Amino acid sequence: MIVRILAMVALALSGMSAVARAADPRYPNWPCAQAKVPEISLAAVWAGPPLDDAETRWKDDTKITALVSKLSARKTPMDEAERSVKEFLAGSAAGKAANAKLLFAGLFETLNAQRSQVMNGLERVSRKQREAADKIREDSIQLQTLQGAAPRDDARVEALSNELIWKTRIFEDRNKVVRFVCEVPTAIDQRLFALGRVIQQELE
Amino acid sequence: MQVEVRKQMSHMWRVGLLSGLVLAAAAAPAHAFIAYVSNEKSNTVSVIDTDTWTVTKTIKVGQRPRGIDFTRDGKFVMVAVGDDDTIQMIDAKTQTVVDSLPSGPDPELFAQDAAGKTLYVANENDNTVTVIDLEKRTRLGDIQVGVEPEGMTISPDGKTLINTSETTNMAHFIDTASRQIVANVLVAARPRFAEFKHDASEVWVSSEIGGTVSIIDPKKHEVVGKVSFEIPGLRKEAIQPVGIGMTRDDKTAFVALGPANRVAVVDVATRKVTKYLLVGQRVWHMAFTPDEKYLLTTNGVSNDVSVIDVAAQKVIKTIQVGELPWGIAIAP
Repeated sequence: MIVRILAMVALALSGMSAVARAADPRYPNWPCAQAKVPEISLAAVWAGPPLDDAETRWKDDTKITALVSKLSARKTPMDEAERSVKEFLAGSAAGKAANAKLLFAGLFETLNAQRSQVMNGLERVSRKQREAADKIREDSIQLQTLQGAAPRDDARVEALSNELIWKTRIFEDRNKVVRFVCEVPTAIDQRLFALGRVIQQELE
Repeated sequence: MQVEVRKQMSHMWRVGLLSGLVLAAAAAPAHAFIAYVSNEKSNTVSVIDTDTWTVTKTIKVGQRPRGIDFTRDGKFVMVAVGDDDTIQMIDAKTQTVVDSLPSGPDPELFAQDAAGKTLYVANENDNTVTVIDLEKRTRLGDIQVGVEPEGMTISPDGKTLINTSETTNMAHFIDTASRQIVANVLVAARPRFAEFKHDASEVWVSSEIGGTVSIIDPKKHEVVGKVSFEIPGLRKEAIQPVGIGMTRDDKTAFVALGPANRVAVVDVATRKVTKYLLVGQRVWHMAFTPDEKYLLTTNGVSNDVSVIDVAAQKVIKTIQVGELPWGIAIAP
């Protein structure tokens, strides 16, 4: 039984080190395989006209803010989002170029903020996971000591074994969630780029 | 009787049409090539016709396809399917998977010698390079390398294999005859890809986190230069060099810069960037058409392939492919 628990612990912790191995020295708490880019630069996603004061003014236009929050929501399917952009700009007539800039400025700021939030969360969880891994390691050493002690305190061995099983299970579940959430910043990049591309095409 | 005639006529008409098609194909512009793109996430390979710039077929392959290349005779496309621990072979005629090669666990990238007889496979999870006899399709042996082998390239004379390791931050030089590491060269953080100049005088190694390309003298095993990138308005972390392509005259190099969404055009002589081309998102690997008129890049996040006109140094086309396009190979 104890041997099995210790093997399970070793396996769970080895999963952790697989993530840590390829770590970026600049961001030791970054848990994802994709190298961290802390924020999206405008130049990476926009080759259209300079946004100028649209970067601040977009918040004053209620039509723009409503559309930005709809398009930024991951629950809005991409094809529907793209259609909304086209419809909005087609209905803008003379104000098309100005509206295009306001819309992209809003999307850029909103999606970048969304992305930062997710990334901060990932780093926070990864820090906690490291602490949890240390604790699991300590507990397993203690368990080994208890097991070898004479006379053996069976009640304590069992209590600690159970605790270790739980901690390891939680640790593993969190690791799975982290791997899944690592895809989210990329999905946001993808959305911003795709919407930017549609807006630029409409301007051409 | 009438039915019979009609049948015959329809047959003749079809034959006529077919021979017309053959003529049309013969008269088609010289740039009609076939490109194969591995889509890491959708477990498929997209086939692109470079005449119409459209996807003509999507081939279902194993899990996590990444490294991809043609056999030298152009008859097969080899694709490393990491999660299935093998390399699959696609028959270029029927465009279906027909065989597999015995790699180690989690193959990512591979390189073959000039004759197309020996294949060297980097197995990401096993710290080894597997050597495969391509004619017999059997495993010849393994070479122990650094942790997590990644980039792979072979010198034009076939005597030296270069393998980069993303954890040791080194380019390992391996003598292909003795299968021993003969030198280790330290480069910038997380080296991803290595490319020889055609005249074999330099090896270029890209570093994803270091954000640079190290230029190594393959005889002295020393870093002799560096290519740096700077894009106004772009964070340094977004500049992640990966794929490298060099023109046959060794005058111009193209470097894919990952989430910078750009390909840098580098003057090989001065080692300076002359231009940045905006392509798709997270640009990863690239391949020239054999006439070197076009360069195709895989863009992993926008799920497309950009077509660059090499002479004009301009992006002329974007083609949607599968999810997470990774590698690309074009029929010789």
